Amino acid sequence: MSYVRDDLRPLQRRLAALLLLTLFGILILLSRLWVLQVLQQERWRRLAESNRLRKVPLEAPRGTVKDVNGEILLDNRPAFQLLVFPEEMKDLEETTRFLASIGIASEQEVGSRLKKAIKTSFLPSVIADNLTFSQVAAIAAHRAEHKELEVHPTTRRRVPLGPVVAHVVGQLGEVTPEQLAQNPELRPGQLVGRSGLERAYQHVLGGEQGNVVVVVDALGRQVSTLEEEKPVPGRPLTVTLDSSLQREAAKALGPQVGAVVALDPKTGAVRVLLSQPAFDPDLFAGHLEPQKWQELVADPLHPLNNRALQALYPPGSTIKPLYAAAALASGVRTPSQGVFCTGAVNIYGHPYRCWLKGGHGHVALEEAIEASCDTYFYYLARDAGIDRLASWARLFGLGSPTGIELSGEASGLVPDDAWSRRVRGQPWYAGETISVGIGQGPILVTPLQLAVAYAALVNGGYLVTPHLVEGQGKPPKPLGLPAEALAVARRGMERVVQGNRGTARRLGALPASLAGKTGTAQVMRKKEGVTWRELPWEQRHHALFVGYAPAEDPRLVVAVVVEHGGDAASVAAPVAGRILAKALGVPEELVDKIIVAEVSLPEGPAELPGGQP
Amino acid sequence: MKRWDPWLLLSVMAISAASYLAQSSTAQALDRPGFAFRQLAWLVVGFALMVLVGTLDYRVLARFWPLFYTASVLVLIATLVLAPVRAGTRSWLVIGAFTVQPSEFARVVVILTLAAVASVHQEALLAPRKALELFGLTALPMGLVLLQPDLGVALTFLPALFAVFWLGGLRTRVWALLGTAAAVLAVVAFFSLLKPYQKERILTFLQPDRAPLTAGYQQRQAKIAVGSGGFTGKGLKSGTQSQLRFLPAQRTDFIFAVWAEETGFAGSALLVFAYGLLLFRVFYTGLQARDRLGLLLSGGVGAVMAAQVLVNIGMNLGIMPTTGITLPLLSYGGSSALATGLALGLVQSVWRLRFANV
Repeated sequence: MSYVRDDLRPLQRRLAALLLLTLFGILILLSRLWVLQVLQQERWRRLAESNRLRKVPLEAPRGTVKDVNGEILLDNRPAFQLLVFPEEMKDLEETTRFLASIGIASEQEVGSRLKKAIKTSFLPSVIADNLTFSQVAAIAAHRAEHKELEVHPTTRRRVPLGPVVAHVVGQLGEVTPEQLAQNPELRPGQLVGRSGLERAYQHVLGGEQGNVVVVVDALGRQVSTLEEEKPVPGRPLTVTLDSSLQREAAKALGPQVGAVVALDPKTGAVRVLLSQPAFDPDLFAGHLEPQKWQELVADPLHPLNNRALQALYPPGSTIKPLYAAAALASGVRTPSQGVFCTGAVNIYGHPYRCWLKGGHGHVALEEAIEASCDTYFYYLARDAGIDRLASWARLFGLGSPTGIELSGEASGLVPDDAWSRRVRGQPWYAGETISVGIGQGPILVTPLQLAVAYAALVNGGYLVTPHLVEGQGKPPKPLGLPAEALAVARRGMERVVQGNRGTARRLGALPASLAGKTGTAQVMRKKEGVTWRELPWEQRHHALFVGYAPAEDPRLVVAVVVEHGGDAASVAAPVAGRILAKALGVPEELVDKIIVAEVSLPEGPAELPGGQP
Repeated sequence: MKRWDPWLLLSVMAISAASYLAQSSTAQALDRPGFAFRQLAWLVVGFALMVLVGTLDYRVLARFWPLFYTASVLVLIATLVLAPVRAGTRSWLVIGAFTVQPSEFARVVVILTLAAVASVHQEALLAPRKALELFGLTALPMGLVLLQPDLGVALTFLPALFAVFWLGGLRTRVWALLGTAAAVLAVVAFFSLLKPYQKERILTFLQPDRAPLTAGYQQRQAKIAVGSGGFTGKGLKSGTQSQLRFLPAQRTDFIFAVWAEETGFAGSALLVFAYGLLLFRVFYTGLQARDRLGLLLSGGVGAVMAAQVLVNIGMNLGIMPTTGITLPLLSYGGSSALATGLALGLVQSVWRLRFANV
């Protein structure tokens, strides 16, 4: 067996060389250890004890946001933030007491923030970001015994218009663990957009955080700056919103609950996006206090919800012009076909009432829209059937998100037989079709969807993507509706304002050509012989109005929903009327004379606006 | 005990003990109680695995290399598909309550495969075709690990290939060719494949004050930890650098610095010596092996472990770039502990069967 050994010899020589190389490496490690730990130990010990490197994040100022007229919606103001350095923390309880005593937050709250900061990293974290001058002074005075605390200048979001644009600009919030995992450039504790424009355009507005590494001595004094990574400020953004109209909308809606959306019907550019009640955006400009958050979340009116794109309402009669155009286009009706309305009609052995007790008499399509005759649309719904009604509603974009940049958009609901089988487990019941024919029953839309649908109705039949930044969204999509079908629906909507039976006649006196459609969404069955003002607020119907102007070549479409507004004509229509009048440049004094609105409020009886802002 | 290598067992036990102590310290610093005990449990299982594999016959195991090799390649592919993304990589398979890092085991299989394939050949030098075959066998699993991407583990496949080439013998011309190819690849990789932060690390190593924020910051913190330990150390669980969390990745890449800071030169020199003894015994086993397979197997295991030890401790001492290569047995990780036990078990098998007359 010796030959086996023999032929291993060259390999063994090479293996021995590897072994020697390894042992040489081990020797190098040992000598390097000797150098670091024995010869240079003093130097490193000094560094470890007194020469602490501190890595301090430098926040990038977020980009400013301006509206279409160059007015500022969002910018920054200087502020002071409080940083805590975990490695300097000596007595957590003492620090907690100190910070609570100067009014940073409650002892419990401060304690939990400090614990979180110490747990998360060896880097400093922000504990509070809106210090008052007296707090800054108090911390500076106790610098010696609180080396773990440091005040840094920073910036804070400022929303000059306040609650009026709160939902559009959106909120900032601390970055979530999921976002951190997805975005390597984000840091723990960093503020990022959580909703609205702040979230949708985080990549534009956010910029990039920087860092500075400073060397501090044993007393916590800054000795030198080692390196600075300058933050990259966020880029500015210009949006399509028109602040003057947004303010007008807020003024017109007053303290009522609801939403207003206004679009340029040709492009889908959003001019007004209002939701009420709103909140003070300054609460969300920095690190939010949990108790404030709790209050907002617990509010029964949900001020944090953006009703314009998240709240769902039955469209009521505002759906009628959509069905009208589609019915003409598909040949289910001709413009001249009429019905005789007696105020009530029997379909499938069930009585269906028109809103006008005495009935409308003979009406064709245009008058049916003008006077909002329910009977006409009961018959239309019966003849079309639910699946066709659903396809007509979907044609105008109902039932799916519009594609606006903001997050959290609701889809709405366009019911049909398939939906009924899937969700309720039973086939569609034909009687319900009749309700859906006048926008009642299970059909649900958002105010934004209504505005988009009407934009298609008046821009020659193109479905637009609503957007807040020029150039966003898909190009307008032609729906293939014949011009004549759209023209009949539009004439009907002009008659709503101009005609002597028009449900929004009160807007006809304005020196501008307005058009539109009222709608009332039932919250519960209407009691006979009771006016809406006598009902408690939460039992009143929602009041809707979608209008546009100028009637012949519309530049603006406005959708208004007043929750529990009671009456569309006297509560919702005036809100849209004011916005459209402002957009067309009608002098304000004149508008005030002509438009008298009623107001429906959550508490107490409705009253005429005496001291409107 | 006559058949076992007492020195190897002793050095493994010594390193395991140090691992438990260092992990206890960092578990306290990171507020992760229980992690030190888990590491100890894995080390004990790894040790048992080493003894178990040591009782088998490495020549029989080597015969089954195609089976092991195919299985590990399949598992690596499965990992790329099934593993959840953690810290930006798909490296860990979740099996019930455990997470397994298949790449650690694949490396041991590659060492076994290369030794088995190279030992069939009985010439003085490896033929170029054979060399190409060995290269391919390494490149496939290594590429799969790079896709995860786990550069730290992928790099440790290279010493295994290098060892087989070196021990098996290549013509000078082939070495020259390989050297040129490697140099070209390195340049290409630097400018195209490496992520910016990895480039930054290499540049930082060449120019330490370049970026005190990122890679430079880590190296500097590690050096401060090691150096400030002095001769006797700051005491267990009392290292300021680790307890105040200045030290990054202290459970894995920089665990040596935790040990060095707390036990000083006395403790860290002892630990380095223990690693030196372990590596010496692995290579010595290769020198005593009865056949080519045993020699190549021990040489491969030794080369990979030596590379890990020298690179990882070197980076803790600021004389090697930060690459994410962990320190076997000391760094936290169940898969790493088991795979190391497996590799050392193979070496033990070579040791126990070293006499040709058995």
